Amino acid sequence: MLGRTAQNLFWLSRYVERAENMARLLEVGYKMSLTSRREGGEAEHLVSMMQAAEVDEAFEKTGRVADVDTVAHFMVFDEENPSSVKSCLMAARTNARSVRTAITSDMWQSLNAAWLEFSQIKPRDVRGARLLGLLQWVRQRSHEFRGALLGTILRNDGFAFSQAGNFVERADNTARILDMKYFVLLPRADLVGGDLDIQQWTLILRAASAHRSYRHVYHDRYKARNIADFLILKPEMPRSLIFCAGMIRDTLGTLADLYGQRLVCHDVVDDLCAMIENTSMEEIFAHGLHEFLTEFIERNNRVTECLSESYNFY
Amino acid sequence: MRIAIRHTLSLTPPPDTNNLVFQLLLTPGSGATQKLERWSVEAPGTSNAARFVDAFGNLVHFVNQMRPDGPLAITASGIVETFDRNGVLGKPGGEPVPALFLRATTLTRVPVTLYGKFRSTREDRIATLHALMARVGEVLGGSEAGQQQSQDGQSQSQTSGAPKADAALLAHGFVGAARALDIPARYVSGYLFGADEKPAPHAWAEAYDPGLGWIGFDPSLQLCPTERHVRLSVGLDALSTTPVRAVPDGEGVKTLEVRVEAA
Amino acid sequence: MGDATPFDEMHNPDGTVREPYRALAQWIEAQPENGLSLMQADAEGIFRKLGITFAVYGSDEGTEKLIPFDVIPRIISAAEWRKLSRGIEQRVRALNAFLHDIYHRQEILKAGRVPAKLILNNAAFCPDMMGVDPARGVYSHIIGVDIVRVGPDEFYVLEDNLRTPSGVSYMLEDREAMMQLAPDLFQRIKVAPVETYPENLRRTLESVAPANVTGTPSIAVLTPGIYNSAYFEHSFLADQMGAQLCEGQDLFVDGGKVYMRTTTGPERVDVIYRRIDDDFLDPLTFRPDSMLGVPGLFNAYRAGNVTLVNAPGTGIADDKAVYTYVPAIIEFYLGEKAILSNVPTYNCTDDDQRAWVLENIGDLVVKEVHGSGGYGMLVGPTSTKAQQAEFKKKIEARPDNYIVQPTLALSTCPTYVNAGIAPRHVDLRPYVLVGDEIRITPGGLTRVALKKGSLVVNSSQGGGTKDTWVLED
Repeated sequence: MLGRTAQNLFWLSRYVERAENMARLLEVGYKMSLTSRREGGEAEHLVSMMQAAEVDEAFEKTGRVADVDTVAHFMVFDEENPSSVKSCLMAARTNARSVRTAITSDMWQSLNAAWLEFSQIKPRDVRGARLLGLLQWVRQRSHEFRGALLGTILRNDGFAFSQAGNFVERADNTARILDMKYFVLLPRADLVGGDLDIQQWTLILRAASAHRSYRHVYHDRYKARNIADFLILKPEMPRSLIFCAGMIRDTLGTLADLYGQRLVCHDVVDDLCAMIENTSMEEIFAHGLHEFLTEFIERNNRVTECLSESYNFY
Repeated sequence: MRIAIRHTLSLTPPPDTNNLVFQLLLTPGSGATQKLERWSVEAPGTSNAARFVDAFGNLVHFVNQMRPDGPLAITASGIVETFDRNGVLGKPGGEPVPALFLRATTLTRVPVTLYGKFRSTREDRIATLHALMARVGEVLGGSEAGQQQSQDGQSQSQTSGAPKADAALLAHGFVGAARALDIPARYVSGYLFGADEKPAPHAWAEAYDPGLGWIGFDPSLQLCPTERHVRLSVGLDALSTTPVRAVPDGEGVKTLEVRVEAA
Repeated sequence: MGDATPFDEMHNPDGTVREPYRALAQWIEAQPENGLSLMQADAEGIFRKLGITFAVYGSDEGTEKLIPFDVIPRIISAAEWRKLSRGIEQRVRALNAFLHDIYHRQEILKAGRVPAKLILNNAAFCPDMMGVDPARGVYSHIIGVDIVRVGPDEFYVLEDNLRTPSGVSYMLEDREAMMQLAPDLFQRIKVAPVETYPENLRRTLESVAPANVTGTPSIAVLTPGIYNSAYFEHSFLADQMGAQLCEGQDLFVDGGKVYMRTTTGPERVDVIYRRIDDDFLDPLTFRPDSMLGVPGLFNAYRAGNVTLVNAPGTGIADDKAVYTYVPAIIEFYLGEKAILSNVPTYNCTDDDQRAWVLENIGDLVVKEVHGSGGYGMLVGPTSTKAQQAEFKKKIEARPDNYIVQPTLALSTCPTYVNAGIAPRHVDLRPYVLVGDEIRITPGGLTRVALKKGSLVVNSSQGGGTKDTWVLED
């Protein structure tokens, strides 16, 4: 397989996952902004959502005032924003076209149809309920693509590269959401948590599609420690750091088996997993949650770098 | 006479070059006017080089270097024995057809004033070529305009380690004019022994006569090549005889030194 | 030739159906009233689904243009095809011999059969190719010959495409669609298969691997990338013959050999089917600003370590100015008369011919020597006075830049249009593969001018395609 093909497959999956994550983040930010009762609260929620998406600085450069319309446009349609839904879909499709022969026609059709439908939408028509509808549509399209992939692609090196892209992106996204709000998750003397905390916790859980599954796992009210535990250490939670890191390791393990060789990226993913295995929230809090997440994001980035080196992306 | 030559160049690729690809036209051939006694081309990567003969009959070293670190030194050196044949090279086998050298190129474009008066000449081809050599010397030799034009030609051709501008200009003028008169003519890049100034690469021309074959003409010295001339490579113009050509070219190629001495 | 009624491929002048079309005519007759219109709609559906395949991508938008497909096939009888294929084979043999000659001893120029100046100073002549000995002596391996028909037994070659002819994927997809639309028709009529093309392409490419290759040669298709309008065809062909689809950045040269960058390190490449123009192939030898090519690729070729398909410099043999000499070229190398005729072509550098051309420009077709795709062209009978005046000026200014031909009455084929079935003008591009043997796919791509009366079949000018059937005896 060409190194470029591997690279295209990796990024194809990353961009589809990112489009989904951006849509989910915007949905959460939008809903929270609607329920904010404080003066200026609307913008605050939107901005902190953009911080979690790491696009806040790019938004500032546009010189616009953050309100529902400007932020939604920026997150969904703005081509200047490399992480907007549109940019992600475009990048995914470009990567897919370059590897047209390495993906199945079901994958291609799913992606191509998504792009063609999306490009028919006029941004100014998308407001309110329509915006929420569109964001749900983006998530569904992402699920559909993943379904087409899982149902049709050969389980070979190409599959491994695309899975790696998917889970590296997801791990990054979850870690960033947590890091953005880490201060509301820290253990405090005040164990109850006020309305403001509850709202922040809800945001975190919803941004990870975890607000309902939380109840299934903990049968409890929202608690900071549980939320952190859920999104970091619960292996059954498919967006948790430990789950994503494990998937990345398994995937790279498949490559090592296929190619009969362990490379530097395998050591790096072991480093990543070492951070979250055989630890507890207590240890992580003792070490410092923010420091922990920063380190995790960095090690996760190293995985991409080393994967590129090990398998000749360029 | 036996002539010892040492030609040193440097090639500086841009930083972070992944794969530097370059070709070297730095090996003289043997023929009626010269015999290669020994010769070597040294550059990083030459042990792994491909060698082939190009479209004009020159031996090419085709080299590449993965992740080159800083400037590369290239040295061509050896000993050549030369013979004075009044510039006559004859018709050696294995060379491309002379008609190939009728092709006009950008560098050999010349004004009609340079050759117009020979169009209806009754002289034989060899006499015409001598007269043309004189004419090229008169018109292009040392004039301000000539210097200007030659500099343009230089930058356009991206040649480095190339001959002094005036020799190249005169050779191009001669070649272009001969071709305009339907006489196959080629550009020669080489070395000159016993030059007044510091030795440098030199350039002259060769034209084809159906009887005698290829004959050399040096319009900058106004003579046919002697045993002081060592032929390095031939081509349509300076571009196709570029001694070192590289991609990516970065800061390009510099000739550091040319030593041409009696051996 | 100019003013006669165009030859109708389906009907005799008395209205009866010509033999090769008889079964088709019965079948059409037997269709329910809206049968063809339903079929045409189904075809749309099939192509939308294959849709990806025919997409013409702009660089920024996802607009996907389908090239119109007509459901009524174009039929060529076995006897007609035998003559055509003999003529085509003769032509590609002679043109490859010509290429070998002009890049070696140039005997044909010495003999004065083709003017030396026309070749040596031609932009399409590639001096760097002098003395190269490609595997099996083949320069142009993949050829598309554009043919028009003007009578029952009259075929003319309009153009030889020896550089990187495109459109073969349309030929294959048209057949695929037709078999889905009308399988019953294929039961009644024995049609020669075209599906063999990808396998034959692979065999051809393998057969011209460099002599020093042992084992199965490794083959790559070199594409300029996803923004090229023929990108689909490149990926389609790579996929169909199991070759790696590469861009310039995927290949590199090391130690004079060509490798691709794979996830497990460098892998040697032996044969490159390149769909990049000569100029952009290698910045070391050709255009230094090319970002599409592979630095050093030409030298690796010259050193005999890789085969380029087609060879650089083949354009000299399909140059419009050289075209008029093809009959002479066939005679010179094969000692035979040309089986297929050239369209008579006027030479504007000749004073008498030019004067005649300028006077009769309203009846003639003027083509730019280096133009293609139907651009830079004047079709006299359908042009305005102003356009004619403009081309007269152009011809006077640069007579060598134009060739002039009579307006051919291209044959017509019944075509399904809004008004029902109506005759439309067609041409034909058969595809030829040259390697260890010459393989001509029976049929080819039929292009049809969908506008009534139009003679321009190029897809960029509103042309469509038809499946092309060669009947088996």
